[in-house]
Amino acid sequence: GRLAPGLRSFHVGGPPEASTEANVSHGKEKQASVELPLHWSEWQLLDSILPTGGFAHSFGLEAAIQARLISSPDDLRTYVIHILENTGSLLLPFVCTATTSPDLETWHKLDRMLDATLTNEVSRKASTAQGSALLRVAASVFTEVPSLKKMREISLNFGDVAFHHAPLFGIICGLLGLHRGTSQRAYMFITLRDIISAATRLNLVGPLGAAVLQHQIAFVAEAMLKKWKDRAVEEACQTSPLLDTVQGCHAYLFSRLFCS
Amino acid sequence: MESKIEAATGKLVVKKVGGKSTVTRCFSKYPLKFIIPNKVGSSETDAVWVYTLTYGGGIVSGDSISCEITVADACTAVLTTQASTKVYKSLGSKSSEQILEAKIGSDALLAVIPDPVTCFSTARYSQKQIFRVVLDSSLVIVDWITSGRHESGEKWDFELYRSTNHIFLEGDQPLFLDSVLLEQGNITNIAERMQDYQVIAMVILLGPKLKQIQIQVQENVRRMMSEQLYLPSTGLRPHGKTQSDHFLAKPSFVVSCSAFGPKGIGIVVRIAAMTTESVYRFLQHQLAGMETLLGVSPYS
Repeated sequence: GRLAPGLRSFHVGGPPEASTEANVSHGKEKQASVELPLHWSEWQLLDSILPTGGFAHSFGLEAAIQARLISSPDDLRTYVIHILENTGSLLLPFVCTATTSPDLETWHKLDRMLDATLTNEVSRKASTAQGSALLRVAASVFTEVPSLKKMREISLNFGDVAFHHAPLFGIICGLLGLHRGTSQRAYMFITLRDIISAATRLNLVGPLGAAVLQHQIAFVAEAMLKKWKDRAVEEACQTSPLLDTVQGCHAYLFSRLFCS
Repeated sequence: MESKIEAATGKLVVKKVGGKSTVTRCFSKYPLKFIIPNKVGSSETDAVWVYTLTYGGGIVSGDSISCEITVADACTAVLTTQASTKVYKSLGSKSSEQILEAKIGSDALLAVIPDPVTCFSTARYSQKQIFRVVLDSSLVIVDWITSGRHESGEKWDFELYRSTNHIFLEGDQPLFLDSVLLEQGNITNIAERMQDYQVIAMVILLGPKLKQIQIQVQENVRRMMSEQLYLPSTGLRPHGKTQSDHFLAKPSFVVSCSAFGPKGIGIVVRIAAMTTESVYRFLQHQLAGMETLLGVSPYS
């Protein structure tokens, strides 16, 4: 679709990973204000302090503990890796396509598709909660991208947009000027970040141990990224049916800290 | 879809003839065969049962079997198997595949209730099932797989298994898009992802004829799992799983239930179990209410 002035333009399958400075000066019309290197927006988007409510979700970890699937630090490590693989296989295609075509029509199509793809009610609801919060925050924060606010308002009026997280994350990255390679890596990063955070709050690991684990798993996450990135949404699949089943049990937990 | 008729390995059409669901078209070629008994269960029930068989009792490397079924308005049809579908080892890295395309009419019911798929060591297999329904169609789909010939020690030893189930409403509205991929990888292998579970299963119940069963199943699953989930008394043990305390053992049967679709017209049940028998028992118990719809209780 046509982009409003001030936004950077994209081509699907565009130039190879360019430096972020090049991304900033890509569009025809630049903001009259000071050029801000993209790092600032990128890092703010990935910082857990951004109020998107990610802390409310454990990616099925809480249910897995109560099903006694996690009883050692090795179990936790394995769990995180399997969730990351599933994130890669199921959600990266949505992030990728949204980043390369960050327009309303593409977003709505991806949102409808993901709504039918997230057959697990627990993860589906978590996705819409996080996506809604993310778009609301992004529209308020990144005011130099007015289409964020416009797209949000139009979609709220439509009524049948679910506001799923992965496509919205991709859209926001795309509109900010990030390349799809970056947005997909970033999505893996925030998933890893959030599960590790949940593990700490569930007392599976202490804060320092969590930080060590996060860095160790980063190598695996990068390998997952290379395997699953840049695929079409028609190829999206889930690779951990056991974890999907267990996560679906979250609603049956008698006592819980997390929403999912 | 019309141009694929000749290429299809099998084609079935179920229509009302004299007020009864009847197979009006039945075509199959090697390696697929249909068996359609004259009467299954009570003669009061209007339902056609179709057993699908493959020559040789299994799916051979390189086989591609495609099947089309149309269940016309107000008809009831059942697709099932006589035994578990065996997928033999891959020769020369060739894959085998099965494709089912089904069209279900208004007030019609299709029940796809097979035995599980069993992939032998090194097998490469994918199956795709596409269902096109209208608002008042009803659909039951059971899709399940065992870890292999576990008595011979083959546990999740196959190379690749992919199962895709798509449901489209009123033409092209995606209602349910699920694809499960189990592939041996260099970072994670399948057995590790499945832990001690030997069977995974999915049951979809969609549409007005299944409303009561949906409600009952959701309630049953909630009750079953609420008893199974609890906080272990201690945190992580640094020395690994050395405990023999049965209190800390994993549940042998894990099941969860999710609603999907507008106004939750469908539910999907997902299962991970340590034995095939426990899944058969679950299916038999949960689907017993279908006897009035199908003439015979599934998995009995």
